[in-house]
Amino acid sequence: MALILKTTRFIETQIDAFLDILSDSSTTFELAIEDYLNNRIDQFENRLAQIRENEHRADDLRVSIERFLYERTLIPENRGDVLAILENTDEVIDNIKDSLVQFSIELPQIPNCLNDLWMQTTKSSSNAVEQLSFAVRSFFRDLAAVNNYIHKVYFFEREADHLGERLRREIFNMDIELSQKSQLRYFANHIEKISDYAQVVCDRLSIYVIKRQL
Amino acid sequence: MIFIYLLSGLFLGWSLGANDTGNIFGAAVETRMLKFKTAALIASIFIFLGAVLEGSGPSGTLGRLGSVDALGGAFTVALAAALTITAIVRTGIPVSTSQTIVGAIIGWNYFSGRLTDYRSLLTIVSSWVIAFVLSGIIAALLFYLIRPIINRGRIHLLEQDVYTRLGLIVIGAFGAFSLGANNIANVVGVFVPVTPFKDLNLGGFTLSAVQQLYILGAISIIVGIYTYSQKVMRTVGKDIFHLSPVTALIAVTAEAIVLFIFASRGLQNLLLSIGLPPLPLVPVSSTQVIVGAVVGIGLVKGGKNIRYNILGKVSLAWIAAPVIAFVFAFIALFIVQNVFEQTVFQQTVYTFNRITIQQIEKEGLDTSHLSSVNGHRFDREMEVYKELGGEKYFSRSEMLKIIRIAEVYPLQVNTKLLLDKGLANHFSQKQLEALIKLENREFKHKWQLEETLSQDPSWQKRKELGERDKLYNQNLEEQFNLLFRTFYFPPSR
Repeated sequence: MALILKTTRFIETQIDAFLDILSDSSTTFELAIEDYLNNRIDQFENRLAQIRENEHRADDLRVSIERFLYERTLIPENRGDVLAILENTDEVIDNIKDSLVQFSIELPQIPNCLNDLWMQTTKSSSNAVEQLSFAVRSFFRDLAAVNNYIHKVYFFEREADHLGERLRREIFNMDIELSQKSQLRYFANHIEKISDYAQVVCDRLSIYVIKRQL
Repeated sequence: MIFIYLLSGLFLGWSLGANDTGNIFGAAVETRMLKFKTAALIASIFIFLGAVLEGSGPSGTLGRLGSVDALGGAFTVALAAALTITAIVRTGIPVSTSQTIVGAIIGWNYFSGRLTDYRSLLTIVSSWVIAFVLSGIIAALLFYLIRPIINRGRIHLLEQDVYTRLGLIVIGAFGAFSLGANNIANVVGVFVPVTPFKDLNLGGFTLSAVQQLYILGAISIIVGIYTYSQKVMRTVGKDIFHLSPVTALIAVTAEAIVLFIFASRGLQNLLLSIGLPPLPLVPVSSTQVIVGAVVGIGLVKGGKNIRYNILGKVSLAWIAAPVIAFVFAFIALFIVQNVFEQTVFQQTVYTFNRITIQQIEKEGLDTSHLSSVNGHRFDREMEVYKELGGEKYFSRSEMLKIIRIAEVYPLQVNTKLLLDKGLANHFSQKQLEALIKLENREFKHKWQLEETLSQDPSWQKRKELGERDKLYNQNLEEQFNLLFRTFYFPPSR
C-alpha cells in the first residue's frame, strides 16, 4: 500500500507546499505594507523579493502538480476542479506581488493619518487570503470544514470592502492634490481587490464541495 | 459436428462478454478511473476463474425450465439468444442475457410442444425481481455507510482516489468472478450433457470435460470483452447512468454481491447452516442488478438524479428481449428443422398403459380422469395436455408429473460414459457404486431408473422437513437429470 501511495503522498506534499506559499504570501504582504507605512523601505524591498521568489515557486509547483495529475490520470473526476482551484489561487499570489511591485515603482505618499485604516484594510485582505489557504487545504483533506473557512473568507472580504470604502472616502476628504487622491485610491483599490480574488476562488470552491460530496 | 453446434454457444458467450462486462466496468472506464485495457484484462481473468471454478450452480434451475434435449435445439436456442442480444446491443441499450436465454428456451418449449414449467419460470422471474430490489437495497445501505466517510472523513482527495481505484479493481474482479460463475450456465449449460471433451490429466491436476467446456465458454466471453465491450461500457457509463467514481464503486459492489448470492453454492449452504432460507441459484441479469443499484442510490439521494426516460428504455428492453428471443428461437428452430433437416428436439412418445397408470396412482393422483387416454400413445406433451382437458382435472404441476411418468425415455446405465465425460465428480462414491450395480440395465421410463436407484440410501429423497432437505432433494433431482441425459439410449443406437 505504501508503494501505491508513494506518488500520491508526493503530490500531496507539493499541494501542501503550494498552499504554504499562499499562506506565507498573505503574511508577508501584511508585513510589507506595515514596513512601507513605517518608511522601512529596505525591509519592504526584501519582503517584495521574498514574494517574487514565492510566486516563482508557486508557479513551478502548480505546473508540476498539473503535469502529475494529467500524466498519471489521477482524480479524473475532480482534476479539472483541482486545476481551476490551483490556477485561481496562484492568481491571488500574483496579485499580491503585483500590488507590492506597484508600491515599489510608484512609492505613493501615504499621509500618516491614514496609516491605521490602511493597515486595517490590508489585514482584512490578508486574513481573507489566509482563510482561503485553510479552505483549499480542507477541500483536499477535510471536506466538512471547508464551508466554515469559506464563510470566514466572505466575512473578511466584506470587511475589506467596508474598510476600503472608508479609506477612499477619507482620501477624497483630505486636503491634498487630486492627482495624489487618485493615486491613493488606486492603491486602496488594489489592496481591497486581493480579498475579492480570494472570494472568487471560494465561489468556485463551494460548488466543487457540493460536487465532491456524496 | 458438435464443434459446429458449439459455435452458437460461443457466439452467445461473445455477446455476454460484449454486453455484461459493461455493467461491471462501464462506470469505472467512463470516469477514466480505469483504462479499458486494464478493465478488460481483470474482467477476462476473473470471469474465466468464476466460470471454471464455480460455474455449475445456476445451470440446474435453467435445466428445469426447459430441458433442451437435442444438440440441434441447443444450438438454435443459443443462436437465437445471441442474435437477440447482438441486435439489441447494437442499439446501445444493455440487455439481459438471462432473460434472453429464458425467452429462447420457452420458444423451444412451444416449438417442441412441451409444457413450460411455470413454477420454474416463476422461480426465475421472481429471482430477477428479487435481484433488482436486493441490489437497490444493498446499494442504498452501502451508500448510507460510505457517505459519512466521504463527507466527514479526513481522507485526502488523492488518497480517496487511490482507494476508490483499488476498490473498483478488487470489486470489479469479484463482480467479474460472480458474473462468470452466475452466467456461464447461460453460455454452455445446454451443452454439458453432450460435451465432446474427455478428462485431461495435467500431471496431478485433472481438468474435467465439463470444466474444459466452461473454459471454452469463458474464452468466448473474453473475446467478446476485447472486441465489443468498449462500446457498451461507454453507453452504460456515460449515457445511461453517469456516476461518480465513488457511487460507481457502491453500485458495482452491490451488483457483485447480488450476483454472488445467486451463484454461490457455498453461500447457499452457509445460509442453510444458520437457519436462513436460501436464495435459488439462478442466472440473474447483471443489467437489471446494476440498474437496481443505481436506482437504489438515486432514491437515497432524493430521486432527482434518476434519468427516468433512459431507465424506461432499459426496462423496455427487459420485456422486449425475451419476447424477441422467443420469436427468433421459434423461427430459427423451424428453419433449422425444415431447411437444414436437423433434429431440434427428441421425438418423445407418451404412453398410457397399465404400468404408467399404476405409477400415476402410486404418486397419489386421481386416475379416474385418465380413461380418455388409457391405451393411447401421444407424440407431444401438448396433445396429452389437451386430451386431459387442460387444467380442468389436474393442476399444471400434476399434469407435468403425469406427463413425466408417461414419457418413454429409453435409458441404459453406462457408468463409463459418466467417467468419460468428466461427470463422475457430480456424484458421491456410494452413488457411483449403486450405479455400477445396475450397469447395462435398461429402463423405459425415467421414473423406473429413479425407483430402482432409490432402493439404495445414497439415492433416496429426504422428507422435506426444512430448507436443507428441500435443497438436498433439488440436488438429487439435478443428479438424476444428469443421469437421464447421459444414459439416454434410443433404440436405433
